[in-house]
This record gives sequence, C-alpha cells and structure tokens, in this order.
Amino acid sequence: MSLLLQVAINGLIAGSIYALVSSGFSLIYNTNKFMHFAHGASVAVSGYFLYGFFAIIKLNFFYSLSLTLIFSALLGLLIYRIIYLPLQNRKASNVILLIASISILILLQNLILLLFGANVKDIEFVEVKKGLEFFGAVITLTQIVILLTAVLFFIFLYFFMNKTILGKNMRAVSENKELASIVGINSRKISDFSFLIGSFLGGAAGILIAVEQNITPTMGTILMIKGFTGAVIGGISSVPAAVLGSYLLGLAENFGIVFLPSGYKDAISFVLLFLFLLFRPEGIIGGKRRTK
Amino acid sequence: MLHIKNLHAGYNGLEILKGINLKVGKKEIVALVGPNGAGKSTVIKSIFNLAKITGGYIFFNNKNILGLKTHELLKEGVCYLNQGRTIFGNLTVRENLELGARLIKNKEEVKKRISAIYKKFQILKKRENDFAYTLSGGQQQVLGLGRALITKPKILLLDEPSLGLSPKLQKELFLMIKKIKKDGISILIVEQNAKKAIELADRTYLLEDGKIALEGSGGFILKHKKIKEVYLGGRY
Ligand SMILES: Nc1ncnc2c1ncn2[C@@H]1O[C@H](COP(=O)(O)OP(=O)(O)OP(=O)(O)O)[C@@H](O)[C@H]1O
Ligand SMILES: [Mg+2]
Repeated sequence: MSLLLQVAINGLIAGSIYALVSSGFSLIYNTNKFMHFAHGASVAVSGYFLYGFFAIIKLNFFYSLSLTLIFSALLGLLIYRIIYLPLQNRKASNVILLIASISILILLQNLILLLFGANVKDIEFVEVKKGLEFFGAVITLTQIVILLTAVLFFIFLYFFMNKTILGKNMRAVSENKELASIVGINSRKISDFSFLIGSFLGGAAGILIAVEQNITPTMGTILMIKGFTGAVIGGISSVPAAVLGSYLLGLAENFGIVFLPSGYKDAISFVLLFLFLLFRPEGIIGGKRRTK
Repeated sequence: MLHIKNLHAGYNGLEILKGINLKVGKKEIVALVGPNGAGKSTVIKSIFNLAKITGGYIFFNNKNILGLKTHELLKEGVCYLNQGRTIFGNLTVRENLELGARLIKNKEEVKKRISAIYKKFQILKKRENDFAYTLSGGQQQVLGLGRALITKPKILLLDEPSLGLSPKLQKELFLMIKKIKKDGISILIVEQNAKKAIELADRTYLLEDGKIALEGSGGFILKHKKIKEVYLGGRY
C-alpha cells in the first residue's frame, strides 16, 4: 500500500513537470501548426536563468523567479520573431520549421554549455530536508509545491483559454486560421501570445526542476521528448489532453520501474511514444471532437 | 454602393479575373453565377483583400477600399461569409457570435446584439452553450449568418451559403436572405444553384473564365439562351 502510494506520488510529480512542458508545447503547436522542439531548450535555459539570477547575481528568490519567467517568455517570443516568422514569410514548409526548431534546440544547449560548463548545477535554494511522512509514503515540501504549482497553472490556463477574449481568439486560430482572419483576428499577434504563454509555462517547468533537482545543459532534450510523448499520449490537438497524457506518462514511468530496473524509465516513455504513434496517433482523447 | 471597376486579380502570378466590372446598389441583392473555377470566389475574396489584386478599383460608398485590412473592412460595413466552413466548431454558439462582434468594445452593446440575433434565429438561443460542431449543417450556416449580421454590415458577401444543405433548408436560407435585404443590407451572393439565385436576386452577373459574360435582371437572364444552355437545361 505505502509502496503504491509512493509510486503514485512520484508519478504525479514527474507528471506535473512533463505536463507543464507539454502544455506549452501543445499550445504553440496548435496555434501555429508546427513542432517547436526548441521549447525543450526554453525549459533548460529557464533553469539557467534562475541559476544566474539566484546563485550568481544573488538576487532574492522571488525576484529571480519572476525575472526567470519573464525572460523565458521573451526568449520564446524572440525565437518566433527572429527565426520562425522570417522563415514563414519566405513560405518555408512545416518540415523546414521543424528542422529549424531542432537546430535551435541544439544551438541553445551548446550556448549553455559554453557559458556554464558541462557539470551539473544546483541552485541550493532548499537544503535537503527529510520529507513529510504519511501512510508510509514520503513527500518533501518542494514536491508539494510542485504539485500545487502545476495544478494552479493549469487552472489559470483553463480560465485563460475559455474565459478571456485572447484565449477565445487563440482557440479560433488553432481551429481555423483562415476563418479567424476573416472575422478579423490578427493571427500574427495570436502567434506572438502563444509563444509568450507557451514559453512561460515551459519556464515554470524549468524553475521547478531547478528547485527540486538540479540542472544540466542537455536536460531540455529529454524533457522535450517526455513532454512530446505526453502530448501524443493524450492527444496533441488539445492542450488539456496533452496535460492529461503527461500525467499518465509520469505515472506509467514510475509504476513501470516497480517491475523494471530504474534505468528503464526513459525506455518506457520511448516505447509508449512509438506505440501511440503507430496505433493511436490521435491520442487517448484526440479525434473525439471534430477540429477543422 | 459597391463598385468594382476593371478588376484584375488572382493568386501569386496567376491571373484569374481579367477585367471585371460589377455594381451592387443599396438594398440590392446581386447574384454572381458561373461554372466551377470561373473565379466567383476570387471576386469576393478580392473585395475582402484575400486575393492578389493586379489592377482596377474597388469602391465602397465612393471610398477606395482596395487593400484595406480585414478589421478596417468590417468597420466600413463589409462582411464576408466564406465558402465552406463558416463557424468555429470547437467554440460554443455564443462564443462564435462574440467573435463576430469582437470589434465592438462596449460589452453591453455586444450583449444587446447577441440577443437581437437570438430573436431572429431562435435555434441559436436554444443551443447557445453547445459547441458549434454539434449543430446540424443548416444550423451551422444560420450561425455563420448570425455571426456576420452581428457586425451590422452594410453589405454582405455570401459565397455559396447553400452548399451542402437539403433543398428544404436551401429554401429557408433564401427566405432568410430576403429578410436580411429588407433590413436594408445589400447582398452579393455567389451560388452554384443558378436558377434559385437568379430568382432571388435583383440582378445577376454571369462569370465565365474570369470575365463577365452576361448581366441583367432575373427575367432577362433566365430567358437568355446562354444561361439556358449552360445551367438550366444542361448540367444543372
Ligand atoms: N489560393 C489559391 N491559389 C491559387 N489558385 C487558386 C486559389 N484559389 C483558387 N485558385 C484558382 O483560381 C481559379 C478560380 O477559383 P475560384 O475559387 O474563384 O472559382 P469559383 O468560381 O469560386 O469555383 P467554385 O464554384 O468551385 O467555388 C481556379 O482555377 C482555382 O484553381
Ligand atoms: Mg467558389
């Protein structure tokens, strides 16, 4: 019982992080209809922003946090404006944009490597404390914060998408860009916002990882794969589905390593990714609603 | 009110319209008919700045509207209902109407206009919180019309609004369009169903291969040999 509970908690914590990565990725994908894999680098860079502001410049933690979120969002916007948009204006296909996104991912990771070196960094905000124990399972305070932060962000995102004008416009552009422009929506502007908000969410993921664990230059790639897998499992054409899929992925990984050596964690996610791409590419929820 | 003069337009390098002249008067329904690929949609798209215009003029109330941005056109009172899907399926009925009214900043005014649309099309009121993809094809088209009318346009550009509707629903739609005209709105309508459109319209243009082949009132057009050949006796 306590083992199951512990595994479930671990799964939900991993899932929270994946879901934050995946929600931003999926928001950008649905609005712009291309895969922004450099999103993974945004996540990693935000970890290093936090490290820079907090551990190097030694700003207070909440300033560091806010600045990191702002810078992450702006980095996303910058990538859109200086890389993707000019390519789109030259009528580049989505495959070209995909390749560009992977190039940016690699470029940013190498930039981190150049500036901060290859070794693992720890921002040492919280000293390792013994976790709280309940029903035999252990959860640390940081982990509780992660769980709550993620949920809070998703509630915020839900209200944003469904109750605000900007959110409704974003859903309209996601569904049918041409029609959106006919009703007078400036889809360029909506793309700007999708990158800002999507990268903000990715930035939040980077912060949580930096606080709970530690950061490495290449962490973006594996996180991007996890976030992407989560999105595929849930259904890439909807943000809530991507979030759900990511939590399922976190749980699957952690339940999987009850039976398998823990080194197989990533393998579980790759296997799931391939299975879904082969047999249910629209994901668990996808395909129910008619889009387009 | 709408005056198109010697319009040349197309899509990157490809000229589709080769000198079109067309007028729509105040409170007038004008039909634009012609075979598939003649360029009917392109005429409407040119007015709404969605095609590449290479020559000519488009005046609306004596103002040159060529090249205006979408929101500027909407402000001028030009509204466009495109061919095919005219609504957002993943948004609710009400949200679709709100999108139509998005240029109106006053929230009370938006509410008022939505109620007015509900009064006109009661089915929309009944389904207001349902996702639009759950509506039937006819209801979706009504929602599209509602979304367009909420802007209180002076002219409505309709591209094959009856596409995919049953004959009964087509009839209802044409009745609605007549009512819209009574409210003082001019209409330029493109239709596959030439006979119905000609009967509905005050005047008709026949477009063939990017040129106006024929122009006239309903009676004249319906009796014309050319229309009889191409549409009424032949393929349609
Ligand atoms: N976006 C586009 N890019 C390039 N060519 C286009 C584009 N849209 C239409 N065309 C071409 O322009 C020509 C006229 O198209 P248009 O849609 O205006 O015809 P239509 O009279 O509306 O036909 P239909 O009855 O099928 O709707 C066609 O040959 C079409 O292939
Ligand atoms: Mg057409």
